[in-house]
Amino acid sequence: MTTPESGELLGTPKAEFLQSVRQALGRGDAPPAEPYPRLTDTLPEMEEKASQIRKRLEENLPALLDKLGEMAALGGWKVHRASGVEEAIGYIESVALESESTNIVRSAQDVFDHIPVDAALANLGLKVTTVVRDEVNPREALREEIRQSGIGITGADYALAETGSLVVLPRQGLSRLVSLVPPVHIALVRPEDLLESLDDLFLLRRLEYHQRGGEMGSYLNFITGPSRTADIEMTIVEGVHGPKEVHMVILG
Amino acid sequence: MPEIKTQDFSAASVAAIADPKLRRALDRVASGFEVARLARVADATPEVWDAWRQEAREIKAHTIEHLDHYLDLLHTTVTAAGGHLHFAKDAGQANEIVAHIARTRNVKVATKSKSMVSEELALNPVLESMGVEVWETDLGEYIIQLAEETPSHLVAPALHKSKEDVAELFTEKLGIPYDEDIYHMATTAREVLRDKFMEADLGISGANFVVAETGTLVIITNEGNGRLCTSAPRIHIGITGMEKVIPSMQDLSIFLRLLPQSATGQRITSYVSMTTGPRRSDDEDGPEEFHLILVDNGRSKMLADPALREALYCIRCGACLNICPVYARIGGHAYGWVYPGPIGAVVSPMLVGLKQAKELPQASSLCGACREVCPIKIDIPRMLLDLRKKTAESPDPSVRSAPVIERASARLYARLMCGPRLLRLAVRFGRVLQKVERAIPFFSFMTKDGKWIRNAPLPPLSRWTRARDLPILPKKTFHELWEKGLSRDDS
Repeated sequence: MTTPESGELLGTPKAEFLQSVRQALGRGDAPPAEPYPRLTDTLPEMEEKASQIRKRLEENLPALLDKLGEMAALGGWKVHRASGVEEAIGYIESVALESESTNIVRSAQDVFDHIPVDAALANLGLKVTTVVRDEVNPREALREEIRQSGIGITGADYALAETGSLVVLPRQGLSRLVSLVPPVHIALVRPEDLLESLDDLFLLRRLEYHQRGGEMGSYLNFITGPSRTADIEMTIVEGVHGPKEVHMVILG
Repeated sequence: MPEIKTQDFSAASVAAIADPKLRRALDRVASGFEVARLARVADATPEVWDAWRQEAREIKAHTIEHLDHYLDLLHTTVTAAGGHLHFAKDAGQANEIVAHIARTRNVKVATKSKSMVSEELALNPVLESMGVEVWETDLGEYIIQLAEETPSHLVAPALHKSKEDVAELFTEKLGIPYDEDIYHMATTAREVLRDKFMEADLGISGANFVVAETGTLVIITNEGNGRLCTSAPRIHIGITGMEKVIPSMQDLSIFLRLLPQSATGQRITSYVSMTTGPRRSDDEDGPEEFHLILVDNGRSKMLADPALREALYCIRCGACLNICPVYARIGGHAYGWVYPGPIGAVVSPMLVGLKQAKELPQASSLCGACREVCPIKIDIPRMLLDLRKKTAESPDPSVRSAPVIERASARLYARLMCGPRLLRLAVRFGRVLQKVERAIPFFSFMTKDGKWIRNAPLPPLSRWTRARDLPILPKKTFHELWEKGLSRDDS
């Protein structure tokens, strides 16, 4: 056996496996005769579609924000439409007080530059930790901090009107665990995060993948409502492994 | 592979029908999932819903017809993202790959998100025999693991357990006081498993879809355990069937609409988690190593059979189970293997061998409800008929499902129906027998009301009348009426 770095071969070699599939299909190794439209479109074609998506968004923004709020509420989010920064912070404070948590973690996303939650929460006597790795806070320490926290606050990469979903992507300062491990999650959504549909989202992600020379990023998570299970007698219980309470604060 | 009990189907279904607790559990499924699914179809409008189904079917058909091409592309993209793609031709090979990774990376604790394929492979005992602690983390799977049972539904694996069963199980296995409050039991599982998530070296997940274009694994969950399994441990292994690949990232939108709405009637599940390779250097967390294992394990047999190939389009939503009148009465365990219900009756015979599962294609009234609800429009009744044909025509007597006497009667019946003269002779003979029976009251219990034979004394007729009645011979056959010039007055 070789090391994984040099291409550890486990199982059946690719050529042999593909050959057995071809044999089962009774075909040679020719690629599909008909080009697959969602794989063979060019970058300019995708860019054109992306600009149409943005144009449609601008034209329908108020209606789509309403739809996001409506679908998010159906999906189990507690939705709060905040007209301004102060109102958003006021809502976050009220959630923090109600949850009776002492520790809060938040990601380090741009949205917090405009919504300074740290000072407001600190004034309430709460400990707020920003999840950014440094010498004082290595990965393990941050993980423990997240585990001890009652609330996790994040921004959004996208918010989908079709399903009421929050979509988060990996970036520096955004742990996968902030929106998952604490029992309460608050998501801050700006109008510019909004997308209309799943179709739009996946087109934009594909475009970015190809623009970045084939880099997708390590994850993409949809979050729609609280963690839930109905595994015992089909009775819904919220908060089984993830948060049991999720708030979407829509700015605007 | 887990123990195969498909050969005991008849006996197991009789026992299941007689179990009142199971009936109550199955009633909950019928009234829960299917009602919610119908509401979502109405939201979308039946026309739009049908267009989605057609589109999804076309994507699946295209991918399966060119599976080798997309597997090759996937290999390139998974590798480019820094992951490792392994191909396993059978369960033994798949389990050995996982065992090898666990051994060489010094894995002590593994957490698992729900995976039907890992049930199919019987992976857990292999890891446990190496001394690795394996924790199922989906609540239903956790219950099943504690009870040392197998799932009875594709989406709700522990639906056959009542809350009292689960409370007793938790008391026995976890040593906690008896408490049948469902919320408390879920909290207990959360607490026990929370430590394990943080402690685990290895997270194992299945996959609902794998995107060839980008090398992305997609899992669709509600509890959050899938996200924890793929985020917290230092190694993530995804295991799934080779048929789960789809070509483009953009193909996902149609499947993310169809799968949750067909499965549980949710507009979308709480989480859809897409992972591509291990964590990158800038990421705050995530696994250091990512492996994807694609298994054949009998799937190429389905691929090679044009009549059964479309069984590989299945996205395991469970809608066909929720609507099936047979599943609704016997539950999942009677099917005797990992995949229950109508789709299981097609898939199991192909994966475990028709010889051992020859009764499963009979587990259907051919009412067609499964085809109606299938989000991929899979023609399950047609495939069940095809499998019945295969069991009837097999040169190997051990594959044939009907006993010798049934086959002989069917042949006799075919002969009679093919020759008018022979048929007339037989009818005349039958009428004589009927007269004799009326003259000698010894047989009269057979035809209490003179119109139906309800209780034939000898096989094969007695097997028929056990579940159905047989009409007696009419005074005049259709043939005779026709020859005289058919009219209402003669009938």
